[in-house]
Parts: sequence; C-alpha cells; structure tokens
Amino acid sequence: MALPTPTPNPALTQVPAGYKYGWHDSEMKPLHVMKKGLNAAVVEEISRIKGEPQWMTDNRLKAYRHFEARPMPAWGGDMSEIDFQDIYYYVTATDKAVQSWDDVPDYIRRTYDRLGIPEAEKKYLAGVGGQYDSEVVYHNIRADLEKLGVIFVGTDEALIKYPEMFKQYFGTVIPANDNKLAALNTAVWSGGSFIYVPPGVHVELPLQAYFRINTENMGQFERTLIIADEGSSVHYVEGCTAPSYTTASLHSAVVEIIVKKGARVRYTTIQNWSHNVYNLVTKRAVAYEDSVMEWVDGNLGSHLTMKYPSIYLLGERAHGEVLSIAFAGSGQHQDAGGKVIHAAPNTTSLITSKSISMGTGRTSYRGLIKVYPGSKRSKSTVRCDALILSDEARSDTYPYMEIDEEDVTIGHEATVSKVGSEQLFYLMSRGLTESEAAAMIVNGFIEPIVKELPMEYAVEMNRLIQLQMEGAVG
Amino acid sequence: MTTGAQTATPVRLSPAAFDPSAIAALSSARGEPDWLHAERLTRAERYQATPWPTGSEEEWRRTSLAGLPIYAPLDEKATTEVSGLDPDAAARGVVFAPLAEALAGHPDLVRPYLTDATPGPATHATFWELARAAWTTGTFLYVPPRVTVELVLRARTVQSRADAAAFPVTLVVAGEDSQVTLLEEFASPDGGAGWFGGTVDVRAERGSRVRYASLQLLGDGAWRVSAQRVVVGADAQVTTLNAEIGSRVTKLGVEVLMAGKGGTSKLLGVLAAGDDQKIDINSIQDLLASHTTSDLLYLSALYDQAHSAFYGLTRVRPEAKQTSSYQECRNLLLSPKAGAEPIPVLEIETNDILRCGHGATAGAIDPIQMFYAQTRGLTAVEAERMIVRGFFERAVADIGSEPIRARVLAALAARIGQEAA
Repeated sequence: MALPTPTPNPALTQVPAGYKYGWHDSEMKPLHVMKKGLNAAVVEEISRIKGEPQWMTDNRLKAYRHFEARPMPAWGGDMSEIDFQDIYYYVTATDKAVQSWDDVPDYIRRTYDRLGIPEAEKKYLAGVGGQYDSEVVYHNIRADLEKLGVIFVGTDEALIKYPEMFKQYFGTVIPANDNKLAALNTAVWSGGSFIYVPPGVHVELPLQAYFRINTENMGQFERTLIIADEGSSVHYVEGCTAPSYTTASLHSAVVEIIVKKGARVRYTTIQNWSHNVYNLVTKRAVAYEDSVMEWVDGNLGSHLTMKYPSIYLLGERAHGEVLSIAFAGSGQHQDAGGKVIHAAPNTTSLITSKSISMGTGRTSYRGLIKVYPGSKRSKSTVRCDALILSDEARSDTYPYMEIDEEDVTIGHEATVSKVGSEQLFYLMSRGLTESEAAAMIVNGFIEPIVKELPMEYAVEMNRLIQLQMEGAVG
Repeated sequence: MTTGAQTATPVRLSPAAFDPSAIAALSSARGEPDWLHAERLTRAERYQATPWPTGSEEEWRRTSLAGLPIYAPLDEKATTEVSGLDPDAAARGVVFAPLAEALAGHPDLVRPYLTDATPGPATHATFWELARAAWTTGTFLYVPPRVTVELVLRARTVQSRADAAAFPVTLVVAGEDSQVTLLEEFASPDGGAGWFGGTVDVRAERGSRVRYASLQLLGDGAWRVSAQRVVVGADAQVTTLNAEIGSRVTKLGVEVLMAGKGGTSKLLGVLAAGDDQKIDINSIQDLLASHTTSDLLYLSALYDQAHSAFYGLTRVRPEAKQTSSYQECRNLLLSPKAGAEPIPVLEIETNDILRCGHGATAGAIDPIQMFYAQTRGLTAVEAERMIVRGFFERAVADIGSEPIRARVLAALAARIGQEAA
C-alpha cells in the first residue's frame, strides 16, 4: 500500500469533505520513482526491473495494447476524472515507508485506537511501516504451511520460484483482454499473493495478506492467484476493516481463483481505502465438480468502488456464494455485487447483498445470474437489502438474469428501507442515544454478513459502523 | 385512398430513406385539415431528428432491430372498430371512436391531445414520433369529469395484410373523478413480416379510475415495436394489463409517470409465447410525486424456443416521499429451449419511502405441483395447462373486470390449450 505520489493530481486526490482518515505528505521525496504515465516503454521497464521471463514481458505488452484499444466502461460509477497519464505505475519497495508516524493526523490515530488496533499494525495501515512486524506469528504459520506443501508467497516471487505452475494458471481465469482495467492490471501488475494448496490439504487458519511480510500485498495493481487443488480447502483474507491510507488514486487489482474438484475456497475482502481512491477490481473464480467457492466482500472505503466478484460454476454440483456488504457515506459510490455463471448441472448459488447509504452516499447492487443451456437442476437465490439512512442518499439495484435452461429454480428478491422513526424511538426510550440506536439497527442489518467474518474483523467492523454512524442521524 | 396512390409514393419508413413528402401526400390523400397536415410534418421532422436505438442502450441490448421490415409499405387499410358505448354515456359527453372519426366529429377536443409534444417513453422516442407522423388508424376515448362509464368499452384494430406497417395511435383521456374501462385488441394476419408500431397514451386526471387492457394478437411474422405512456394524476387509480400473445418479435416500452400526489398504479402483464417468439418489455415506473403507489406484476409462460426479456426500472425521485412500489416478474420455462431474462432495477433517491422492492424468478413448473395434479387424475398435459392457467389467473383477475378476464383467458387458451374438462 501507500504508493507515494509527490505531485498528485489535485482532481483525483482531493479528499471529499467530511473524510476523516486521509492525509498526504507533499514533502515526501521518493528515491527511484518512475515517471508518471503509461506507455509501452514503461510496461517493458517494469518487467525489466523485476527481471521477468520474456513471456511475461510479452504478456504485459499484449495487455497494454488491449488497455489502449478498449474504451472506458460507460456504465457504473463516474470515472471521467481518472487520468491514466497522471498515475505512477511502479514504485520500488525501498521507496516506500518514507513517511513518518508523526505525519499521521490525530483523528486517524484515534480511529485506530478506538478500533483497538495494535501499534505495529497501525503503522503498517498508515503506510509508515514498510512491513507489518508480526514475525513470530508469521514464521510459525509459514513453518506449518511448508510442512503441508502449501505455497504462500508474493506473486512476483512466485513467477521466479514456480515458473511452470505460474505460467500454467496465470491469466486463465481473467484473460488480459477481459476488460479495460483487467488489461491495465495485466500490463503493470506488481505484488499480490500466490497460493497453492496441494490435494487434500486443509489450511486451518485463515491466510492473511499482512502475515506475509516483506512483500507488497496491498499495492495499487496487485495480482493474486489462488489454486486449491482437489479436495483441499483454504480461507484467504485480504484487507482490513481499519482505514488504509494511500496517496495513489487508482487501485486496480486482479484476483484469479481456481477451485478444483471437491475443493473449498473462501476469499474475504474488507476494503476501507481512503476516500480519494478509485477502487476498480476484477475478481473471478472457476469452480469445478463438487467444489465450493465463497466470496465475502466488504466495501467501506474509497471514492468509487466497482467490484463484482464472480464465480463460474464449471463442474457438476459446484456451489458458489457471494456475500456482499457496502457502506457509502457522503461523496462515496459503492457499485458492488456479484456474478454467478451456471455452466454445469446441479450447480447452486447464493448471492446476499446488504448495502447502507448515508449522507450523500450512493450504493448500487449490480449482479448477474446466468444459466447456460444444459445446466439442469441449477438453483440460485439472490437477496438484496438496502438501507438508506439520509434523505440525500441513494440506493440502486441492477440484478441481471439470463436463464437459458428450463429445469432450474432461480429467484431474486430485493427490499429497500430506511431506519424507521418508530425503531429509533423504541431504542431511545431504552436509554440509547440516537446515533447508538441507529448504529444498533445497522449492526443488526449487516449481522448475517459480519458473522461470516473472522472474529477480529467482526469486532472491528461493528466498532467501525459505530464510528461511522456518529452524527449520522439527526 | 387507393392502392394506386400507395404504390406511387411508398412511405419509406426507415430513417435513412425516410421521405417526409410521402407523409404530406398521405395527409393530403386523407383530406386532413391544415393543422393536422402540419402536425404530421412536424412529427416527421422529429422522427428524423430522434436517433434510433443503437443496441448499446441498456433497454435495447436484448433485442436487435436488424430483422425489422423497415421497407414494409404503410397499411392504409388498417381498421379500428369500437363498441360498448351506451347512448347514456354518449349523451353525457363521452367520446369513443376510431381516431379519424373522432377527429372529424370533435376536432377541437382531439387536437390538443394529438398534438401534445411531450416526448414518448425515452427508449421508444423515435417510434413515438413516427406513429404520430404516419398513423392511419387508432382509438380515441375521452371521458368528461365526474362521468362514470359502467360497461367495458372495446376497440379492435386490425391490419389489412401481414406484410405491411401500421402505426395506430390510441389516446385515452379520463377527466377528473371519472371512471372508465377499455379493452383494446390489436391483430394482424399470419404469414408475412409486418411492422406494428402502435402507441398508447393514457392520461388519468385527478381522482379518476381507469382500467386499460391491451390484448396483442398480431400475426406470426409481426414485429411489434410499440410504446405506452400512462400519466397518473393526483389520487387517480390506474390499472393496466398487457396481454402479449402474438407477434414474432415484440419490443414494448412502457412508461408510467406517477405525476400527482396520492396516485396509484397497478401494472399487470401476461406473456404466453411459443415457437421462436421473442417478447422484450422495458418499463419505467417513475415516482415523481409523494404518496404514490406503483406495483407491477408481469408473468410469462414460455414454450418451445420462446424467449422473454423484462427490464423494469423503478425510479423514486428525491421529492417523492412516502411512496410504495414493487416489481414482480415471474417466468415459467415450459421447454428446455425456452429462456428468460428478468431484470428488475431499482433507483431510489430518497430514504423517505414506505416500501420499495422487487422480485424475479425463472424456472420450470414445480414438479410437486405436477405430481399432485396427476395424482388427482389429470394427464401431464392437462396438469401443465391447469397450472399455467392458474399462474396467469393472478394477473388476469387483478384487472378487476370479468369481461376482460374472460376475453384474455380465452385468448391465452390458444397458446396454453383449453382448460381440462
């Protein structure tokens, strides 16, 4: 995270009024920053610095041409202010962590304190620590994983250390030409996690990106690849509930997941980027016979997020779930959801979306259920609930369905509601303040999703909602 | 009007080849007054100035107009017949007639509604203008304030040949606190590729109660590219039913404007499609005023390779407080090759809502229902018919008019089969 941009584009880094967590340091002097902007030479230079094999260089260049040729998406959020030539596409690790903890504003420190975040982690989250110093924990986990044959390394490292496996899977789920922003990521990717779980291995503890020290894992264009071999299981956790600060205005990640026969993968994301960030992410999993893929996707931060974790159910009896939660305050637009493509018989899926908009915030659920002919006895349920907390907030629901098979059960339901004055009155008559009462109602609303989070995340999420709700009502 | 004149100046309808002088010739041949002549030419200009859908618009992504017979000649012999108006209602000022007849008899009454320049539904704006330029038939209904028409009024518009183009214009105006029920049928012969571009414009003034049912029985080669606009005034109650049975391709755009405080609309649809029929409906329930209620229920039964698409948008504007709205779209897939794309969209711009939601389903008949019906002695075919009929009954009964319910069910039987004895 925290890619320093000494002269950020004012249009993009302008922190929306009311944003409490952001700051930037104009005094920062990075050491070896590439020039702003993107062209084929920059793409080649990134590949050269990383010492990559020729096929990856070629792949990056091919992706760059796709990026150039593609128009910006005309749907979703407002992306008109993104200037691709005003962005740094590569910053080396030594250039990072040059900010000082003293520069971190009081209010963001207070937020960390109130969330109960440990000292070392605070610095990491604030971008002032180059690494999250949890070495003891990390080394124990690493030793256990190695015994099991699990690979859990940075994606750059994986390309060098496991070249054949890397080449076999990279770009197979999300090809370079999938969409403009995936093409951009493929051209300039750096960082991210590479995970391989051998057949029959169950990774008991959730793997968390910030346990993997010395590697950029919440970068601007990270690339994550997870392969769960037959009968294995793993839970990967990305991001954190606490606000994460970056001066980079564009975050465009690609996550590819392969869930082989009988395997199970859960991928949990909680993003709380500072409110200057365009968070445009492509996440997709392919799930084979008898496998289970679950996305738990929480969107709290950013200026605009467009993210629709997808699951291609390619084998019989594969099951996919997307749990999506979005929270949009003033100046924010969370355009999130999920997609499930049923391409085999007896496949099942469940999408649950809970969104909350307050202030002038806007949440949009955007999703797709597609059933190909021959996917007999497929079942899918999509359930969207939206809570609107202020008069100026907005909520949209765009649930696409394409059903080309008769023998299926497909359903979608959505409700939109506001926190009722009667509910508030009741809780306040029991001695709660208005904001406490509203926070309690909101916590109840998102409970089905929070309970799916690892415990420390759930605790933080509830506290964070409480913080966000202060002053939201009345 | 002679067929000779038609051959001499064919009205080329495609935007590229469109010739406004043919519209002028059409008006002259019909002996229309100057204002109407000018109106048609104005509309022709607006038609040319309004772009066709490109196919990239959200509402046009699922149906291509590539096969639309744009060179079909204008059907100048299409007819509209009306019935059901009792003399008492006529005496109280109700005007119900084919459009041309109403124009001849009540030009001052018809003129403001026919020349109203409010654009049609945004998705079909160009076709709305084309219909106002090139109509040769249509229906006009005007109910004065505080007049109640008890009996169901009926209109039937029929194309004279399958391979022609017709753009009937329906105008329904219900004055304040009036009540009226209209069943309108549209038909054309089987066997040729025709273009049906009828438009329907319903205005329900303050406190009125309107039931409008449209029964579409076009021929098996017809392309229906049609639009409906319903404006619901304060405290008015409007129920519409669209029964889509015929045509090869239907692309219907429905716009319901909840324009007055306290208005209520109920939008019902039944679609029974087979063969390679494609029925694509886009709707918008635009909640502009406070305390409005708008509920939509569209049901489709799809046989053979038929395909339905429904893109319905509920938009709740910031100033529309205390509204209630719901969209429900259900699809029964009765063949392995049938398909459905139900897409109910919400855009809510205020938090002060009473209720807003939607539901969509697609799937085969519940096998437990089939099993149960068969244990009661029905064959599989009979059981399916009974279940499909029951499925439609919910919407058809909700129109609240027994003659309409009976007529629509009888028409649906052509697709779903007769009821088991």
